[in-house]
Amino acid sequence: MSNTLRPYLAAVRSTLTAALTLENFSSQVVERHNKPEVEVGGSKEVLLNPLTISRNENERVLIESSVNSIRLSIKIKQADEIERILCHKFARFMMQRAESFIVLRRKPVPGYDISFLITNGHTETMLKHKIVDFIIHFMEEVDKEISEMKLSLNARARVVAESYLTAFIS
Amino acid sequence: MILLESHNVIIQTALSEKLARPSSLDVQFVDYDGVRFRLSTPERKTAVLLSMNIRCWGDLVKYGALEILKREYGALLKDVPEPEYNVSLEIDLEQAPPEGEAREAFIKSVSLLKRNALAAPFELAFRTQKELEASGSGQGELMQVHYRDEEAIYVQASADRVTVIFSTVFREETDHVLGKVFLQEFVDARRLPTIQNAPQVLYSSRDPPLEIRRVPGLRDTEDIGYVTFVLFPRHFANATVAEGTISHIQLFRDYLHYHIKCSKAYMHSRMRHRVSEFQKVLNRAKAEVATAERKTVSGRTLVSR
Amino acid sequence: MSVLAPIICDNGTGFSKIGFAGNSDPSFVFPTAIATRGPAAQASRGPSVPAKPGHLASKRGVEDLDFFIGDEALANAKTPGYAVSYPIRHGIIDNWDYMERYWEQVIFKYLRAEPEDHYFLLTEPPLNPPENREQIAEIFFESFNIKGLYIAVQAVLALAASWSSNRVTDRTLTGTVIDSGDGVTHVIPCAEGYVIGSAIKHIPIAGRDITQFVLNLMRERGEMTNVPPEDQLRVAGKVKENYSYVCQDIVKEFRKYDAEPYKYFERYEGEHSVTGRKYSLDVGYERFLAPEIFFNPEIYSSDFLTPLPEIVDGVIQQSPIDVRRGLYKNIVLSGGSTMFQHFGNRLKRDLKQLVDQRLEASALASGSAQRSSGVEVEVISHKRQRYAVWYGGSLLADLPGFYQTCHTKAQYDEIGPSICRRYQIFGSAT
Repeated sequence: MSNTLRPYLAAVRSTLTAALTLENFSSQVVERHNKPEVEVGGSKEVLLNPLTISRNENERVLIESSVNSIRLSIKIKQADEIERILCHKFARFMMQRAESFIVLRRKPVPGYDISFLITNGHTETMLKHKIVDFIIHFMEEVDKEISEMKLSLNARARVVAESYLTAFIS
Repeated sequence: MILLESHNVIIQTALSEKLARPSSLDVQFVDYDGVRFRLSTPERKTAVLLSMNIRCWGDLVKYGALEILKREYGALLKDVPEPEYNVSLEIDLEQAPPEGEAREAFIKSVSLLKRNALAAPFELAFRTQKELEASGSGQGELMQVHYRDEEAIYVQASADRVTVIFSTVFREETDHVLGKVFLQEFVDARRLPTIQNAPQVLYSSRDPPLEIRRVPGLRDTEDIGYVTFVLFPRHFANATVAEGTISHIQLFRDYLHYHIKCSKAYMHSRMRHRVSEFQKVLNRAKAEVATAERKTVSGRTLVSR
Repeated sequence: MSVLAPIICDNGTGFSKIGFAGNSDPSFVFPTAIATRGPAAQASRGPSVPAKPGHLASKRGVEDLDFFIGDEALANAKTPGYAVSYPIRHGIIDNWDYMERYWEQVIFKYLRAEPEDHYFLLTEPPLNPPENREQIAEIFFESFNIKGLYIAVQAVLALAASWSSNRVTDRTLTGTVIDSGDGVTHVIPCAEGYVIGSAIKHIPIAGRDITQFVLNLMRERGEMTNVPPEDQLRVAGKVKENYSYVCQDIVKEFRKYDAEPYKYFERYEGEHSVTGRKYSLDVGYERFLAPEIFFNPEIYSSDFLTPLPEIVDGVIQQSPIDVRRGLYKNIVLSGGSTMFQHFGNRLKRDLKQLVDQRLEASALASGSAQRSSGVEVEVISHKRQRYAVWYGGSLLADLPGFYQTCHTKAQYDEIGPSICRRYQIFGSAT
C-alpha cells in the first residue's frame, strides 16, 4: 500500500463511520412518504454539509449526508485512455447488477464514476461497520482490478501480435 | 484458437457430406468481409453449384483474380456466374476424386475459394517485385482493394519490398482504444529476437502513410488508422512461403477484430468474477436473521417476497 | 450491397442449432458443450483470476482461448487437461463465462462472420428471467458489437415454423406448442405471440426416457444378449428412431403382431463399433410401445401417470377462456421426440375425445336442449418439426419487418441492456 493510500482510506473510513448515523425520518413535504432526503433534497434543514476527501486531482470521494441517508460517490483513478475505458466498463457492469448490491446507486453522481446510497433501512438490517468495510474493500480492490486488467490486456496484445508475426516466418 | 483458419468450414462440411451422400441442397452463408456464398443443386443432385459474391470483385479482376481462379479450379469455373454473384464453381460430385487424401485436398481447395480470389493483388505484387528487382529500381502500381465499405487494402511493390497497407476503422470507442493497444504491440513485437525476420509493422492513426497520401478520397477522421506491413523478399521466396504469407495477411483485419472481441469477453469474465467477490463481501454485512420456516396447518410453506 | 443474412442461434440444453436466416436447415448442429483447459475444480470457479498479481505479467495471457466447442469438445474430452462442461442447464444459461466463449468460437470459427455486420436472432426458453436477456444483450452488444439483436421465445418460433405446413391457412401466433426434446417435454400455450406463463406444464418424459424404455423392453425379451453392452443404448436409440410409430389401439396392435409376427417384426442389423462383428436382432412390440409412454405413462414410470392428451387439455383449460378455441385449433409439435409416425393423429383423437366428453357432460348438466357447435381440435405436424425452433427463426428473420423489430446497437448505446426487457412480436398476420 503506498504512503498516500493508507491515510486516504483511513479518512474515508472514519468520515463514513461518522456519517452513518441515520434515523428513520418521514418526509416533511408529502404525508406518509419516507424518502432518502439526500436524493430528494427538498428540505434543506435535514441535509448536512457535503464533504470531499481527495487523494489527488484524479481520486476523490464525495460524502453527502442527511438525516436518513448518505450518498457516497467515488472517482476512480484513471491515468490514461485504457484505464478510463476499463473503469467505465467496470462501473457500468457493476451498476447493471445494482439489484443485488443493495447499497449501489444505479447511476453515478455527475463528476464521479460510481455512487452508493445508504439509507437508514440498510443500516438497520445490515451491520454498519461491515458496510464501511465493504466500501473500503471496494476502493482498494477496484484500483487493483483495473490495473490488473490493463496489464493482462497488454500481455494479451503482445501474445496476439507475436503469434501473428511468428506465423510469417515459420 | 489463436490464429484464424483460412478455409470456410461450411463449404468443407457441406461438400464432404454431399460427396458421401448426394442430395439436393440450397444454402446461403457468408465469410469474413461481407463475402456471400450460395451452395445449391439447381439441376441434379450430383451437380453442386458454389457461387460467391465478393464486394471488391471489380478490383480483384483488375489484378488478375480470374487467372488465379482458372489456375486453381480449371474446368470447374463457370464462364457465366450465377446472377447476383461474381463467380461460380460447378462441382460434379461424380467426377470428384475418390475417397481418401485426394478428395480431402479437393474439398480443401474448394473451401479456399475466397482466399484464392483475394490472393490476386498479392501474387501480382510479388511478381512485380521480382521484375523490379531484376531491373534494379522503380515502383509498381499502387493497387487498391476496397474489401469493406469503409476499409481498404493497398498493395504496392518496390524493388526490394512489397508494402501492404490496411486502413482500419473502429466503429466503437472501446474498440478504438483496445485496437490501439494491440496495434502498438504489433509494432513493438518485432524487437523480440525470435521474430526479427517477421515483416515490419508500422501504425499511424489519422495520417495516411506516404505511399498512399496521393490517393484521392481518403477519410480524414479521428477513428481511422493505417497499418503498414513491409514484406521483404524472404516472405515470398518460394511458392509455399508466398502462399502462407498471402493466406495470413489477408486475415489481418479479422484477426485483429477477433482478438479485440475475445479480450472484451475475457474482461467480462474477470468482471463477473470480481463482482461476485464483492457480492460476498457485502453479504457479510447482512445481519443474521433467524429464518425459521413457517408453515400452515396443511403443511405448506410461506414464502416472503 | 445487400444486407448480410441475419444469424440464427438456437442454443438448447443438448444441442445448438446455428445458421443463417433464409435457409431451410441450420448450417451447424452440435452439442452445446465446451472443453476447457484446467482442472474441473478451477473450471467451475470462473476465470482464473490469479491469486498473486505479480504472476500476471509473466503469464501468457491467452489461456482463455484454449478451448473447443461442439463435437470437437466431446472429441477432446479424453485429452488430458481438458474438461467438458455444458453451459446450459434446463434450457437456461448457467455459466455465462463459458457461454460467451462458446459464442465467440461459433461466430469466428464456424460461421466466419464479422459480428459487426450481422443481425442476430437468439432464442430463449419460456419463463427465462429478464436478467438473462439483459446479460445476453450485454455480451452481444458489448463484446461482439453486433448490429442488432432479437431474442425470441422458442415456443413462438415453433408456432411460426408451422406456417410452412400446408394445413395452416392463417399465420397466427396463437396455439399450443408441444416441445419434446431429449431431456424434457413442455406444453406451452401462446396467445398472439405471448406465452401464457402460468399455464405451462412440464412432463418428465422425453427422448432419453423413450430410449431407456426401448432398451428395457428388448433386454427383457432377451434380444440384447448378443449386443455388446456399450452399444446397447445406441442400438435402442436407433430402433426408436427408425422403426417406431404410434398405433391407434394397443390391444389390436398386439393381436396383429401375434397373428402375423413375420409381417410386423423387423430385423435390425448392427455392427460392433470396435471389433466390427456383425449382429442382428428382432424388433417387435417396442415399435409401437415406445411412443406409447406419452399416452400411457404407467407402462414406463410409476410416479408420473398423466397421459399427454390430458396434460394438453389441462393446460388449455387453465388458459384464459377467450383464447381456448385458438389453442385447441392450433396444436403444434416441435422437437425430435415428436417425430413418430401418426403421433399427431393419435394426440388429436385422444384430445378430441376428452373435449367431446366434457361438452357432452356440460350439456347434460345444464339440462338445456341446445347443443354446442363443438370445439375444433387440430394437431399440426410438418416436415421441419425436428429443428422447428431454428426454422421458425430463419423464417421470421427473413421477413422484411425483422430489421425494424430488432434492438439496434444505437438503441443499446442510448438506453442500455434494459431495452431487451421489451419484447415485441412481429410477423403475425393477425
